[in-house]
Amino acid sequence: MVMSRLQKIPVVEEKKGNPLARVFDDLVRFCRSRSLFILHYCTGCGAIELPPAMTSRFDMERLGIQPMVSPRQADILLITGYVSIKTLKRVILTYEQMGSPKYVVGICSCTVNGGMYWQSYATAKKLDEYMPVDLYIAGCMPRPEAVISGLQKLMDRIKNGEADSWQDYYRNYDYYLGNQQKLFGEDWQTPTDIITEAKHYELMGEGTLGQHTRLLEQHQQPLEALEMRLGHKLKEPVE
Amino acid sequence: MSQQVAHWLDNLLKEIEGIEVRRKSSRRVRVDVPADALPALLELLQGRAGYIHLSAISCVDWIDDGEFELVYHVWSYESHSLVSAHIRIAREPGVYLSVYDLYQPAAFFERDIHEMYGIHFEGSPNMEKFILTEWDGPPPMRKEFDSEAYINEHLSWQEYNPEWLQELVAEGGGVIIPPEEQRFSQKKK
Ligand code: SF4
Repeated sequence: MVMSRLQKIPVVEEKKGNPLARVFDDLVRFCRSRSLFILHYCTGCGAIELPPAMTSRFDMERLGIQPMVSPRQADILLITGYVSIKTLKRVILTYEQMGSPKYVVGICSCTVNGGMYWQSYATAKKLDEYMPVDLYIAGCMPRPEAVISGLQKLMDRIKNGEADSWQDYYRNYDYYLGNQQKLFGEDWQTPTDIITEAKHYELMGEGTLGQHTRLLEQHQQPLEALEMRLGHKLKEPVE
Repeated sequence: MSQQVAHWLDNLLKEIEGIEVRRKSSRRVRVDVPADALPALLELLQGRAGYIHLSAISCVDWIDDGEFELVYHVWSYESHSLVSAHIRIAREPGVYLSVYDLYQPAAFFERDIHEMYGIHFEGSPNMEKFILTEWDGPPPMRKEFDSEAYINEHLSWQEYNPEWLQELVAEGGGVIIPPEEQRFSQKKK
């Protein structure tokens, strides 16, 4: 009895090396949780609760959360409601372009399982099949208070080092890619090379490569840089 | 004034054969016409009665009758009244004439109906995909398209009340609607 209870006590393995490294990690995580930028990308009707959450009424900035317009400079991808299959493609492209660490928050019941669009041919049902989701804020739609309390929870999770689902995208890329291929067709390809990134971050896991990534390799076309042109000319008016 | 206009309009509409006029109110008229008389009716309404605004074309799929119903809503800024012209066309082959030469905004509505119901409008400037640019299934608003079967095949589903959601509900978040209340197919009769 006592033994079994004793076994449940978690054993924390001490890291060897510099004892201060841990302190430093904690500090970094604390700072990270205090400076979050939300990507301004609204998918569904739940987005309407964000303006009051961001602006003077509820003022998210007092928590250190601000909107940001470009994915490269944002930490949080808020999915504010249903994602149609067309939108989902764009959401995935956006997600992959964000720099790590990045966090996905699914607002609204629609991101959980389709919500009131459960029967629609046009919307994806479970967001966490296509990208790892850190936190769901359920409700149709959740009020700004709920959004803020959800984001506070995310901050706590970041501070405690629990919000690391972005690593999951690299470690289980094959699973996510498989679901994406199922929906978008076999020749689905994004401009971001996740496998190379996974190697770079040393986040190759057992699920990084698999049958779906092999399929991707068969179809993959090398990306070409966009042509740069200066002095773009407008079309000559037709006489 | 509007009484007068209504009276005058009713007289005008009598000029067309096979037409059934039902006045809903002084500012709303429903007319049912045979499909081949519709262009003439619209021309008359536009040219002689000032119904210059085509607000919408709507479509209803009457699958049991084997017919599509098309409804053309035209509005007059002079008499402030709306005429809805209803026609029925055969579901197969589902072809009808475009009214683009009378009302240019029709191109937009016809393209939408073509995409959603698969009706082909002859003479419409563009019958390409419109909103569903990445969709290659059947036209989704046709009654024979089974949305539920489609999502069961293509998308996966999760319980409406997974355990982790119950945690949220306990904190005052989340919505709980049991599936038998939400899904018509599971509703107790
Ligand atoms: S959960 Fe409700 S408010 Fe949110 S996107 Fe879905 S339908 Fe809109």
